[in-house]
Amino acid sequence: MALLETAGLSKSFGGVPVLAGLDFAAAAGEVHALVGANGAGKSTFLNIVSGSIAPTAGSIRLGGEVVRFANPQQAQRAGVSIVHQEFALAPLLDVATNIFLGREPRNRLGLVDRARMRRDAAALLARHGFRLDPGALVAGLSVAEQQLVEIARALSFEARVLILDEPTAALSPPEQQRLFAVIDRLKAAGVAILYVSHRLDEVFRIADRVTILRNGVRVDTRPTAGLDHAGLVRLMLGETAGPTASVARCAAAGPVRLAATYRAGEATSEIVLRAGEIVGLAGFVGAGRTHLARALAGHARPHEIEMMVDGVPVAPRSPAAAMRQGLVYLTEDRKRDGLFVPLGVLVNTTAGALDRVARLGVISRAAERRLGGGMLARLRLAAPGLGAPIDHLSGGNQQKAVFARALLAEPKVLICDEPTRGVDVGAKAQIHDLLLALAEGGLAVLVVSSEFGELLALADRILVMRDRAVIRTFRRGEVDEEMLFRAASGDPAVCAGRP
Amino acid sequence: MTAGRTAGRLAVAAAGPPILWVTVVLVGVAAALLPGFFSADNLANVLRQSAVLALLAIGQTFVVVAGMMDLSVGMLATLVLVLAADLMDGRAEATLAAVGLAAAVGIGVGALTGVLNNLLRINSLILTLGTLTILQGVTFIYTDQSLGAPSPAIAWLANGDVLGLPPSFLLVVLLVALAHLALHHTRFGVHLAAVGGAPQSARQAGIPVGRVQLAAFVISGLSAGLAGLVLLGRLGTGYPNAGIGLELDAIVAVVLGGTALAGGRGSVIGSVAAAVVLGIVSNMLNLLEVSSFVQMVIKGLVVIMVILIGQVRPERAA
Repeated sequence: MALLETAGLSKSFGGVPVLAGLDFAAAAGEVHALVGANGAGKSTFLNIVSGSIAPTAGSIRLGGEVVRFANPQQAQRAGVSIVHQEFALAPLLDVATNIFLGREPRNRLGLVDRARMRRDAAALLARHGFRLDPGALVAGLSVAEQQLVEIARALSFEARVLILDEPTAALSPPEQQRLFAVIDRLKAAGVAILYVSHRLDEVFRIADRVTILRNGVRVDTRPTAGLDHAGLVRLMLGETAGPTASVARCAAAGPVRLAATYRAGEATSEIVLRAGEIVGLAGFVGAGRTHLARALAGHARPHEIEMMVDGVPVAPRSPAAAMRQGLVYLTEDRKRDGLFVPLGVLVNTTAGALDRVARLGVISRAAERRLGGGMLARLRLAAPGLGAPIDHLSGGNQQKAVFARALLAEPKVLICDEPTRGVDVGAKAQIHDLLLALAEGGLAVLVVSSEFGELLALADRILVMRDRAVIRTFRRGEVDEEMLFRAASGDPAVCAGRP
Repeated sequence: MTAGRTAGRLAVAAAGPPILWVTVVLVGVAAALLPGFFSADNLANVLRQSAVLALLAIGQTFVVVAGMMDLSVGMLATLVLVLAADLMDGRAEATLAAVGLAAAVGIGVGALTGVLNNLLRINSLILTLGTLTILQGVTFIYTDQSLGAPSPAIAWLANGDVLGLPPSFLLVVLLVALAHLALHHTRFGVHLAAVGGAPQSARQAGIPVGRVQLAAFVISGLSAGLAGLVLLGRLGTGYPNAGIGLELDAIVAVVLGGTALAGGRGSVIGSVAAAVVLGIVSNMLNLLEVSSFVQMVIKGLVVIMVILIGQVRPERAA
């Protein structure tokens, strides 16, 4: 008998279906994993079941009864709680208060009964074997401890269904093991656990069954016991198009431009980028790709990284210092730290190179126009004018402006984090052509991307990251999407190979 | 790393708010330098002088804990002062009406600010800068010169004494007790801290964020109304420039008292202690016959110093 059941659950955003007729069932005392590639509809499903968004069609049954949640609080009261990747805690309040936030127990005088709150919290924590001090400030806790507070809060609603969304993304391996022990105990207590993770090895470690979503549709639900890693990946990706048609390019790998040793926790990774080479960096959310990419560009703490550029040791302590060494980083988050928003296209392009167009500190607008306009023309940026506000441009043209700024810094090594995120197909192809042309021209390029297909098309080598370390390196032609997926999700059969 | 950070926090927590230590040092210095400082008369005088600021600081604490600021309180107190002075004009029988007026105007303006805050969703600093200016305009439209006078009861509240203590300060003590209870022992207080520390988390926990913020402004308005009455008692006349700049002193007192400027945690006891410390500082400097302009410089330096002492920088310390 299923505890949580959905029938024909559908959701469209602006007419675009993201979830189409999902039938799903999870039983009490079961760990049920939910997997799928980006855009498969996992988040939408979780948000509907936990009351954050309403379905366009379909129904939810909890313990046999049809339920409708107008908001997350209703879902919680009914016994469905979710622990998001982003925690929702009040940092300056203590653990007990956070657990009971919004429904603090009161005494006869109507005052908050702190003693009882502490007692109840202590009892709850003890019952589930969480080692936390109910009186500790949340701000002083580690990420793993904060997660336990979230889980305890979820359980305090007498949760029958607990949803964990990428719960291990921010945890160290020992903390992950402790979380699994917690999950095992909850399972024994009869809680149904929906477990969403990109890390398929974890799915095999803790899940009883797995439901595979693809393009908003349920592909299958299977016991994990009868599945292997490769089989699961095939179900997630569907028909793989065979070896990806990669650009015919004989990379005449030049001399080593950048050699780096990167340390994160226990792990050490070696990164080598040669002139004329495009290197891909693959991995899932939480693997630490962006942290590594930024570390190469002056955002690291001194003990994290040692680098040599053209054989000379360098230790840039800021992005500006890294740029002087020829290391230029292109952000994955244009809006937050790429664009100067109300300003025009030209200013956005030349902002880092004003010294080159200024005399005695006064900017020559003509020189700026020549320098920036020339670069933008080369990148085929389409804008109503060089003064057009940057935020009025399409994503692809915004990205080109950011690219132009990076290139005006005259990099030796270009580090692109998700260079085609949020750009249309045409601009994407142009950016790919540009990256290839830059490599031809002798630049060393590192491309971080969540799209494995993009890396397979562009990169001469692909580094796979997991748990903040490079765990495997593939050469062009010796890997396909399935293999990359298996490596990044921790399939021991693939990861056993030496990096 | 985490352990070091936690240890740092614990050390600060164990030492208590820095304001207490500053108080001890200041009083010591004052005792050594100024023989007259420790007379009962002078100490009562310090408390008398601090009462207005203490009242404003109590209300401001609620707003700051909620992650906002209320710049309108100095002018709101002034408006109340002028209106109440005109209403009473020295008549004893008008005292009750004046108290009612002060409470009504304070609560009304606070509620209006809270409603605007909910509707417009603009930064509270800017919003209350706007209401400050409006209140100043209204005050000067009403009168551009001193008018009226406090009733004997209001004058006694500000200047009298009960067993050697000023009645206004006893009022402060009573209100601090109530405010402390509200801030730390009611659902409202817990929700206030949650809203100030992490508004999104508070919303997700089902806390009515807008209503909590509105309540904070109402409390701030009410305390400004009471401060206006006490200030009137001290001045003896409805002077329309009386409370200019008090809002900044109130925010300084709140921060000196250990309330997080970004919200999420605070103490009314700390705020009032800080208001008294500011009173001690100016009293000492007066006794030393330091000019009031030099006093401003010294006050500013004390503020910066105390903030520095209280600041923990986790990423540097770790």
